[in-house]
Amino acid sequence: MAVRTIDVRERVMARNDELAAGVRARLQAAGVSAFNLVSSPGSGKTALLERTLAALGEELQIAVVTGDVQTHNDADRLARHTTRLVQAVVTNGACHLDARQIAAALEAIDLDATDLVFIENVGNLVCPASWDLGEDAKIVVFAVTEGEDKPLKYPKMFRQARYAVLNKIDLLPYVPFDPGRAIEFARRINPNLTFFLTSALTGEGLEAWFQFLRERAGRGATP
Amino acid sequence: MHEMSIALEICRMAEEQVGREQLPQVVAVGLDVGDDAGIEVDSLRFCLEVLLSNPPFRKARPEITRRPGDVLELRYLEVNDAPATAGLAPGAG
Repeated sequence: MAVRTIDVRERVMARNDELAAGVRARLQAAGVSAFNLVSSPGSGKTALLERTLAALGEELQIAVVTGDVQTHNDADRLARHTTRLVQAVVTNGACHLDARQIAAALEAIDLDATDLVFIENVGNLVCPASWDLGEDAKIVVFAVTEGEDKPLKYPKMFRQARYAVLNKIDLLPYVPFDPGRAIEFARRINPNLTFFLTSALTGEGLEAWFQFLRERAGRGATP
Repeated sequence: MHEMSIALEICRMAEEQVGREQLPQVVAVGLDVGDDAGIEVDSLRFCLEVLLSNPPFRKARPEITRRPGDVLELRYLEVNDAPATAGLAPGAG
């Protein structure tokens, strides 16, 4: 019997994180801010981006990378609101985007002519929390139709995010959802979370979101 | 799917280590998985069992240790320098 143990001690995410650091450095060098939009499916990420591109597309140079398990539907929707190329990553079953895909997508984006990059991640509140994409910050989007306890059910995502968008507030009269409780649950997980309450359908609350993006655009990624 | 992609990355790391250090047959792959790592451990174990039963691993076994926090680390490889003489059939252990 000649069994021996080889000490390795390598983080499983080390390679992804190395690529993410490269993405972050490229964005930083070009003075581009990047936000990773994460949510469960159907929270309104694409609708929020449609509104954002329509409102700020003339004012800011915004690039978008979308991630979907299948179809280019989101990219096609967004392409109607911008003259810029929308990069679509089809993951073919994978439940998250990784830094390698973002590094490849950035190759087709003229970062010198870009203020802001949005990464619309695969709809999933679990796996994307584990993958650093080189973004400036994760923004978690959830809707009033999803239940107030989403932050408690998916604490890692809410811990990882720096900003939260509570969307579909136009539906509040029709659903048993208390925004105060949802925010309290979220801040129990992450006391520093900054909230935006929006309706991407009616436009309610979007001005604060747009103003935030104006202030952040071109600031460049920070680790 | 998440666990399978993590398992594939673990196998890639193990293969890289084996190639770099010219290691003999791997019989066990040791991992630390944090309670907050976002990993369903039984699913990860199953995915690893599937992947490690194929070449070049020949049924190495996953050994997962739960830890507090969000650690996710390939901690060690157990290798057998003399599988034939030790009578250790592939997959034994």
